[in-house]
Amino acid sequence: MAPKSFMRVENITKKFGPFTALNGVDLDVYPGEVHALLGDNGAGKSTLIKILSGVHQPTSGTIYMEEVKRSFRSPREASAAGIGTVYQDLAINQLMSVTRNFFMGRELTSTLGKLKIDEMNQIAHDEMLKIGIDFSDPSQAVGTMSGGQRQTLAIARAIYFGAKVLILDEPTSALGQKQQMEVLKTIKRVRARGDIAIIFITHNEIHSRLIADRYTFLALGQVIGQGTKSELEGGDIRRLMAGGAEIKDLEQELAKI
Amino acid sequence: MSERNESDRLQNESWIQRMMRRPEIGSFIVMIIIILALGLASEGKAFNALGLKNNIAIIAQLGIIAVGAALLMIAGEFDLSIGPMIAFAGMSMAIMLKWGLPFGLGEATPFTAFAITMCMTLGFGWLIGTIVVRSGLSSFIVTLAFWFFLRGLTEVCFRLINQNTNVSGLPDFKKESWFAEQMGGEVFGWLYDAWFWIGQKVASGLEFTAGMTKEEKIDLINYLSFLNINRKMEQWVTGFDARLFWFIIIAAVAWYVLAKTQIGNWIYATGDNKESARANGVPVNRVKVGLFMFSAFCATIFAACQVFDTNSSDAAKGMFKELEAIAIAVVGGILMTGGFGSIVGVIFGAITFGLVANAVFFIPWIDGAWFRVFVGTVLLAAVFANERIRKRITGGI
Repeated sequence: MAPKSFMRVENITKKFGPFTALNGVDLDVYPGEVHALLGDNGAGKSTLIKILSGVHQPTSGTIYMEEVKRSFRSPREASAAGIGTVYQDLAINQLMSVTRNFFMGRELTSTLGKLKIDEMNQIAHDEMLKIGIDFSDPSQAVGTMSGGQRQTLAIARAIYFGAKVLILDEPTSALGQKQQMEVLKTIKRVRARGDIAIIFITHNEIHSRLIADRYTFLALGQVIGQGTKSELEGGDIRRLMAGGAEIKDLEQELAKI
Repeated sequence: MSERNESDRLQNESWIQRMMRRPEIGSFIVMIIIILALGLASEGKAFNALGLKNNIAIIAQLGIIAVGAALLMIAGEFDLSIGPMIAFAGMSMAIMLKWGLPFGLGEATPFTAFAITMCMTLGFGWLIGTIVVRSGLSSFIVTLAFWFFLRGLTEVCFRLINQNTNVSGLPDFKKESWFAEQMGGEVFGWLYDAWFWIGQKVASGLEFTAGMTKEEKIDLINYLSFLNINRKMEQWVTGFDARLFWFIIIAAVAWYVLAKTQIGNWIYATGDNKESARANGVPVNRVKVGLFMFSAFCATIFAACQVFDTNSSDAAKGMFKELEAIAIAVVGGILMTGGFGSIVGVIFGAITFGLVANAVFFIPWIDGAWFRVFVGTVLLAAVFANERIRKRITGGI
């Protein structure tokens, strides 16, 4: 028996004027799974996650969360429904402390808007420890942290504020080799909790193979391949990554020049 | 052996290193140097009973608008309309007090004149802020436009209603109005009373006698001036200007809000990176509009203190005040790009500027224009220092 999907996206299309960014995309995500969303530049990955996180509204199609039909008119509505998106820029402020970033916009306050700074420090520390970073000083500025640590902060923040579906937008790009591995470890730790569905957007075939349980390949706004790890073979993955082109064809094309 | 992880790379710091990373450290050091230099050059006169009152008057005056400018700069925006806003508010209050309330509402009291003026200036602040956040234009340009607009409007109103570019010789409202006294009168008289009381104990037995030479008399007057005693052996100074009270209130509230509350976190977040702040649900536009209004509020308090102190106003009031306010904020450690700074630093900056602006009165041989030379130099130094501090805090990124 197949497990119940957490979020199901059916036949999403998105048109920007005459341009069709997405043309009938389906997607299923399950708790405790990493769903890799792969595709070349311009394949529609960004548009899809912007629709899932409420930035754009789909032209047609439906989103179900635990079998209930939902539509998000704003990022706030999506995040209230349990969709936590970690963008590439991470939405983190360098000059502010870890704690102040962690609670940015959702501060814990007592009377007169006073910050409960000790409690916030404690929570920020504990939440980041759960997924792998032990911070001795939550009052240190984020500017002093490495790229991987910043990812962890953004992920921990999304989880703490109720993300059931965690969307990671190319979390490993623009990082060094070692930090990429740190981020992948973090993703595995989140996966191990079992109650969070992860959508992992990447360009990197190797990274997706290391942690993904399920794949969706996009090209020119359409799904060109979908399935679990066991259903797809390594060759398939590489071919689909390149938008359906065979590597051999590419090699020939290159050789002609 | 334990594994070395990323966070081990952040070294543990001693409290001195921690102090040196605080945003207000630079302005604190400059302030101490200025206090010592002024004290020595004026032979202490800058800090005798009257000197302290006069210095604090200008410190408080500059401080009030600098706090408004600083909060706005931390949120990443500028306000060049502070000076004209002061002139406009002063004009509005003075004209109402002389010619009565608008729309035939009858005689103005100090409070009604102030309240109606405040509504107008807050309205202007709201308008400026709304234009900035809606249009996405640089606040530099928008507030520059309002600089000209308000300067012109102030002068036009003066000429149309009063046939002159000033209002002078208003009755002294401080005598009958509690509100006017709170704005333009004196505060903390008990401090000077206590000073005089102690001074009397110290000076007991001292008096002017017929046989004293001129030098001896001058020495004695100087000595007594530090004891708050005048040459008739009476209390010399009775209190600080009321603007000190407003400076303390405004600075305390701004400090608390910025350092301790949710709105403070929003202000920092807005100035640091408004897109990421917005993505996290910070109401960026409301924060900015609110701070433009707060800046207008500070300018209006400044103007009210001036009008009720001097019982006059003219179209040239508040000249260069916007630039001084921004300079104080920068010297106080506020980053030009926003997102960083503290109110404590701004207070140090205001003290430094106030003392230097007033120095000409205590050091007769100094040319007053040196004030601007000093401001220029310190401003440039502060910008470099702030940039270094920012790099140190963000680990050079």
